Formats: sequence, C-alpha cells, structure tokens
Amino acid sequence: MNHPLPLLTLTLLLSACTGWSPTEPGSGPASPSAGVQTPSSQGSNGVQVFPLQNPAVKDLLADAGSAESVGDYGKAVVFLERALRIEPRDPEILQSMAEVQLKNRDYEQALNFAVRSYDSGPRVGEICSRNWRTIAASREQLGDRAGSVEAAQRASACESTPPDRL
Amino acid sequence: MVPWVAYLNHQVTTEFEGRKWDLPSRVFARALELYPGAPLNLRDLELELRLAGYRRGDSATRPGLYRVSGGTVEIYRRSFRFPEGAEEARRIEVRLAGGTIDRIRDAASGQNLDLARLDPAEIASIYPLQKEDRTLVDIGDVPPLLVTGLQAVEDRHFNQHPGIDLRGIGRAVLANLKAGRAVQGGSTLTQQLVKNFFLTQDRTLARKFNEAIMALLIEYHYDKGEILEAYINEVFLGQQGAYAVHGFGRASLFYFDQPLERLEPQQIALLIGLVKGPSYYNPRKHPQRARERRDQVLAMFAETGLLSAQEARAARDAGLGVTERPRTRGSRYHAFVDLVRGQLAQVYREEDLRTEGLRIFTTLSPSEQEKAQAAVAQGLRQLAERGLPASLQGALVLADVASGEVRALVGDRDGDRVGFNRALNARRQIGSVIKPLVYLLALEHESDYNLLSRIEDQPLTLQQADGSTWRPDNYDGVSHGEVTLLEALTRSYNQATVRLGLNIGVNHLLARLDQLGVDADVDAVPSVFLGAVELTPLEVTQIYQSLAAAGYSVPLRAVLAVETAEGGELVRYPLRMLPQPRREAISVLNYALTQVVQQGTASGLPALLGKPVTVAGKTGTTNDRRDSWFVGYTRNRVAVVWVGNDDNQPARVTGSNAAMQVWARLFRELPLEPVDLRMPDGASWLWVDRGNGQLTAEQCGNAVQIPFVAGSEPAEMTKCLSAARENDKESIWRKLFGKKQ
Repeated sequence: MNHPLPLLTLTLLLSACTGWSPTEPGSGPASPSAGVQTPSSQGSNGVQVFPLQNPAVKDLLADAGSAESVGDYGKAVVFLERALRIEPRDPEILQSMAEVQLKNRDYEQALNFAVRSYDSGPRVGEICSRNWRTIAASREQLGDRAGSVEAAQRASACESTPPDRL
Repeated sequence: MVPWVAYLNHQVTTEFEGRKWDLPSRVFARALELYPGAPLNLRDLELELRLAGYRRGDSATRPGLYRVSGGTVEIYRRSFRFPEGAEEARRIEVRLAGGTIDRIRDAASGQNLDLARLDPAEIASIYPLQKEDRTLVDIGDVPPLLVTGLQAVEDRHFNQHPGIDLRGIGRAVLANLKAGRAVQGGSTLTQQLVKNFFLTQDRTLARKFNEAIMALLIEYHYDKGEILEAYINEVFLGQQGAYAVHGFGRASLFYFDQPLERLEPQQIALLIGLVKGPSYYNPRKHPQRARERRDQVLAMFAETGLLSAQEARAARDAGLGVTERPRTRGSRYHAFVDLVRGQLAQVYREEDLRTEGLRIFTTLSPSEQEKAQAAVAQGLRQLAERGLPASLQGALVLADVASGEVRALVGDRDGDRVGFNRALNARRQIGSVIKPLVYLLALEHESDYNLLSRIEDQPLTLQQADGSTWRPDNYDGVSHGEVTLLEALTRSYNQATVRLGLNIGVNHLLARLDQLGVDADVDAVPSVFLGAVELTPLEVTQIYQSLAAAGYSVPLRAVLAVETAEGGELVRYPLRMLPQPRREAISVLNYALTQVVQQGTASGLPALLGKPVTVAGKTGTTNDRRDSWFVGYTRNRVAVVWVGNDDNQPARVTGSNAAMQVWARLFRELPLEPVDLRMPDGASWLWVDRGNGQLTAEQCGNAVQIPFVAGSEPAEMTKCLSAARENDKESIWRKLFGKKQ
C-alpha cells in the first residue's frame, strides 16, 4: 500500500520548531508592475496573524503617512526611522519604509526593507502580500524581470490561509 | 596721518563686516524616547536628565528642572528644535515600575501620553580656532532692560556721542584724580567694542589713540543699532576652560542655563556687571563680589528710572540664580566626537564645522557612554589589581544592532583624555575574533557542512610562500582529534579552523570581509584564518553588527542629520539596509556563538553578567597574548572591547581574562533583549542525537535541538525516531478513522 503519511509526518517534524513557511509560488496572474504606486492599497483576503502594534509608534506612522502624502519622503523617512528605533523589527514599519522608498524611487532600499519586513513578519496575509508586491515592483525597476514575476506570484500565495499546525 | 587712518579704517571695517562671527557647531546626543514599556529605571533616567543639564528640585516649575517623588519623575521638558520640527516646553510625569516606564502623563492636562521625548544633551561644541564660544542674538530679541541697562551703566551718552565721549572722559579724569587711582573708565561702548575686536590688554597711549580713531570710524560707517548688536554678541563675559565666553547670549546659558529672553532683572544686572571684569566678578568663584557688583548695577537701574525703587529692591533680595556648573562642561566624549568629525569630514571642511554654527544630531546615548567609560576605566583597574600590567590600554565600541547607530565609543582607559583614539585608529591583529566568518562560509556550503559535521583537530604543517613552514598550535597545546564544527568554534580550536579554512579558501574569507565593509589589507595566507589581520575595534564592530542583525548589515553611523544654525536641513544620513546573502547561515552561526558563551571559551560570562539573558560572543587572543578581544551581542546591542599594550608588547591577556571582563561590566548595566534565535526561511531547528548527529525525536535520549541550513540536515535517523514515527503513524490513523487497530 502506498500512502502519503510518512511524507506528511516528516514534513510536520521538520516544521515543528519553525514558523510556517509559505507555499512555493503558484501560477499567479499578477503583473510585475502592479501596485508600483500603491502597493499597500490592494485588497487582501489573507489572515493577519501579527501581534498588536506598540501605541508609541502610532503617531509616528501617522506623521510619516502625512509627510508621504505630500511627497516629502525625506521627512517620512525621519519619522519611520524614529519608529524603528522604538520597534526595530515591526513588519508594518519596515514595510511602510519600503513603500516610501519605492515612491522615492530608491528601489534597492525599497527591496531591502520589504525583505526585512517579510523576514520578521508573519509571512502570510496582508502584510506578506504587500512585502512581495513591493519586492516585485522594485525588482522590475532594477531590471530583474524573472525575480519580479516570481515575487508577484509569492504575493498571491500570501493570501491563502496557512495550514494549521498540529 | 591719512594713510594711517585709511589703514585703521580698513582694519575696522574688515573686522566688523568680514567677521560675521565664527560660531561653533553644537553636537547633540540622541533624544531619549519615553513611552510605556520602554526599559528604563530611575537611576538611568536621572543620569540622562543630569547629562542633558536638568537639575533636580523640590518642584519642576521651570524648564530644565525635574522632581522625583516615589517612582514618578516630573520633568519640565525644555523647548527644542528637533530636525523634524520644534517642540514646546512641556511638563510631563513619567512613572517607573519594575525597570520600565509604566505610564507617561502630560502634567498640565493629566492626559496619558503614548510617546514623549527629552531634548537631547548638548555633548560638545566644535569651536573656532580662536577658542571663542558664542550664541548669537538679534538685537530685536534682546530684553529691553539689557539694551538700556547696558547704556545706563557703561555709556550714558551712547545715543549722542560720535564714538568717543569727551564728557565721559572728563568725568572719569576728575573722578580718578579725586580718588588718586583709576576708579572710572571713560570708554564708550564703541571703544570697548574695538578693544574686544582686537583682543589686546595693551594700555599705551598710542593704543588708546588708535582705539579712539577706530571708534570714530565705526560710528561713521554703522548705525547705533548695529554697533550695539555687535557689542552684545562680542563682549567677553567669562571663561570656560580654554574657551572664552563671548556675548550675552552665550553668557546667559553659561551662567543661568536660560536663554537671554527669560532672564529676570537681577540676572540681567549681574551680566552687565560682569562687563567690568568677568574673572574678578565671576559669580561662581566670587559670589560675594558678584553680588555687590550686581547690586551696584541695580542701583544704577533705579537711579536712571529703568526699575522702580520697589522693583530694584525685589531684585536685590533675589539670589544670584547662577547654576552650580555650566550645563555643558565644555566638550565631553571626545572619542565619540572624533567619529562624528570623521563622518562629517566627507561633506564638510574642518573650517565650516568650526565657524558655521551647525547643529549636529548624533546617535550617542549619554548614559550608555558614561557606563562604557566607567566599564573600561574600572575594568582595567581591576585587571591591574589581579596582576595584569598597569600599562594596559583599552577601547570599546557599542552600537544599536538594528540601526547600526553608535551609542558609545571609548578610545582610552581615561574616557576624558584627548589623544590617541584606539577605537578608531588602533589597528591590531584580531585573532580568533575572525573565526566565526570561517565557520559561516562553511555553513553556506550546505551540502558539505552543518554544525555537527566532523573535522580533524590535528597538527598540520603548511608550506609558506617564502619557503618556510607554518605549524599552527592550539591555545592549550593539545590536538583534540575529530571534533564537530560546533565544538571547534565554541572552543576556538586553531588546527581544526585552519583545516576547515583551507577547504573554504582564504580568498573567500577576504572577499567576505570586503563585502562586510571592511578593508583588510593583507596577503591571502592561511594565518588569516586565525586572525592575522589588523583591524580597528570600529571595523570589528561593523562585521559583528551584520551577524547580530541576522545578516541585515547597516553601515555604522554616528551622525543622523546636520542643520544650519537657523534650522535649515543640510544633510541627512538615513538608515540604509544592506542585506547579506545566505542570511539563514548567519542565523545558524548566531546559535553557535551563543554556545561559545554557554559552554565555550566565554563560559565565564553568564556569571559575570549576573542575569539570565541569551548572549552571543567570541573571544580573541593574539600571539604571545598581546591583544585581548571580546565581541558580544544581544538582540539590541553589539559591543567590541579591545585590551592590550600600545607598544604591542606581550600583555599576558586573553580574550576572556581581560576584554570580556570589561564587556560584562558594561552589559550588566544595560537593558538587554536575548539574542533572536528564530530561524528565517531556509533554516530550521531539528532534534538530533548529541552523540551521533542523527535526526531524532524530542523524547529520545541524547536529544538536542540544533539549527540547520536547509539541505544540510542529517540524512540518517535514530532507531528511537523510527519507532516514534511508527507510533505517530498509528495514532494518526486512529485520529483519522476513529478506530482502534
């Protein structure tokens, strides 16, 4: 008899001490440049699993948002850096920084902050897809077309609900 | 005569217009952020407040004062122009409990606050070469009593005379004759200004004559307002160490720690009184003389109607109000300021820093800097008591892990000494501190190595380029045979490391150093695997910031922003993230470096630290025990300590007997977060058998958890794990189908 249980068991064992890893990219339809302007404004049906934000950074994020909305990216960065000094690994702040850098056309830094946000974030849900959309847009701008397509696919994969851990 | 006047005319106009006053640049520490949950105890908060020039009082009634009552600190925060905007003075209450901030309230409204910050300490000024300190004021912002009072005391006919005042001179001559000695001067404010411009104590008649001509020329060229403004900013009013305090703006801060516009009448009187003799009437040294002089001035204010008799009496009854010490004791933290200058030298000429009155915002944490200086000074003293050389020197760099912001820097065992800055400039061999990079490169070869891979710790002989042979020894003189990578790294075995390195290639190691932002000018020879590379403590910190931040390198920074004196933004140094490749291997290495502290060469550290927090670290010792290094980090702080002799003579030091002691002294005083041992994508924790390295299950004997880079996992499994899986299989069947088998 040939059944998949040994494989399942092994997978569960291997992941027992780690966070859930996202599935490999499927065949997402997203265009690599989708969301260059507003990577965070797209809808999401993913699951947000990250703890609540430190209230100390709330106003700073709002100030950064105001500066960003009038195109003062330099000032937005100052507010976000201040927020990062308080919460250095907060995926929301890191992703906001990535999005400001993207608007500011600093694609390398946009990419790097988005990757950092993904690494320290839930790796699933809304923030995950924002991470990968920014990565896709930055890679495209940096001339990495294949990497951009792959990232766009991972953005779609973020939306699916991860399997429960046993 | 005419050419002479023309010459004087040229001199005086050049001075008046060309000078435009050289303004020292002000260097600020980082602003302390206060928010509920922030780690902070009362001692550290008071230390920060004191270093920012706050004074403890029975009540916090004025900006710059604070009051402690139980666990609550009421702070009257000063107004300050931060780079992203000005904040008004404000009274806040900070309640502390259990080593963190429990609550912050606005004292006026009683409203809870999510976030507040202190105005930053002014840590240094970069002065003009002529050593003058000055804070410019506009004549329009000067209190009217100062403008009129100055004339009432020093020059009553200022508004009428053409630069010299013959009536004044006549009166002075009479008064002096009557007294039989010089009791009164007849110099106008304009003449005094000339005297201050050319800084001379020369009292010859020719000099006086020149001064008079120049005073007339100034009056000819400029109006009274311009002359008075120049005077108010120029006049010499005190001495702080090597620096002369010029102008009422700076003097107000120097003596009262208040801006000029906040001064009370008696304080204005005191400053005006100082014009006559800043050192003779120095209120800190000679309070009685200063008081008498002040009261004389107040009497003149009353006599000329500037104050009513009642106001003058009230002013006379008031104390001097002078702070015990100036807020900034000149410049502090020279070693850190060296780093600031270095970072700014890429953009500014030294002369601009000295003269443009720039506002420089830095990353320094004053409380951590004080602790770092104390750790080096006390640590080295203690080492001498234990018999190590008293000549030992030390250096320390402390940085925030995620941002790369340098929080403290010590370049000498005496933190206040100005001189050779070892943290920035001492290039010394780094010894075993380099080894983690050798193991990192190995872990990146996931098909060949994991932490449990076995390597030979056996004697080896290498042919060198010059034909000689090299036979590395272990520190304990013993070869340990077959050991795991983890053992070889945690116990810092040389022979195993060189063997591993030879499989990796020395060029790869040098390329990695380069990628981490360090320029190691060294030949590609195998001794590099054991740290025959000369680096500065700052460069070593850059390498380990990368590791501590799990591969998210950021260039170390000391300066965040520079503004003009008026608050215009000049340059900003934003956070730039430079992720390293193969970060999963760095995370696995981080675990190995926690084991150096758990069971390796730094196993003495937890006891020294005295608190249960996961720390990663590496010791380093060089040939003949010349250099002692310790590099250690937690999730929030990374620090490098070097100890050795300046002349590079053997110092009987090891990484753990010297540098680690200093490191522990500092870190036991800091709020720490444990090293982050979560694995990123591409690495995971597995249960393995401690003896044979096979995959196993948690409940099996010898089971330990070790992180593995994906693709490097052990292929074999223990019998215990096979059995457990059979059981699991059965229990899953039961769960799925709900029947017993």
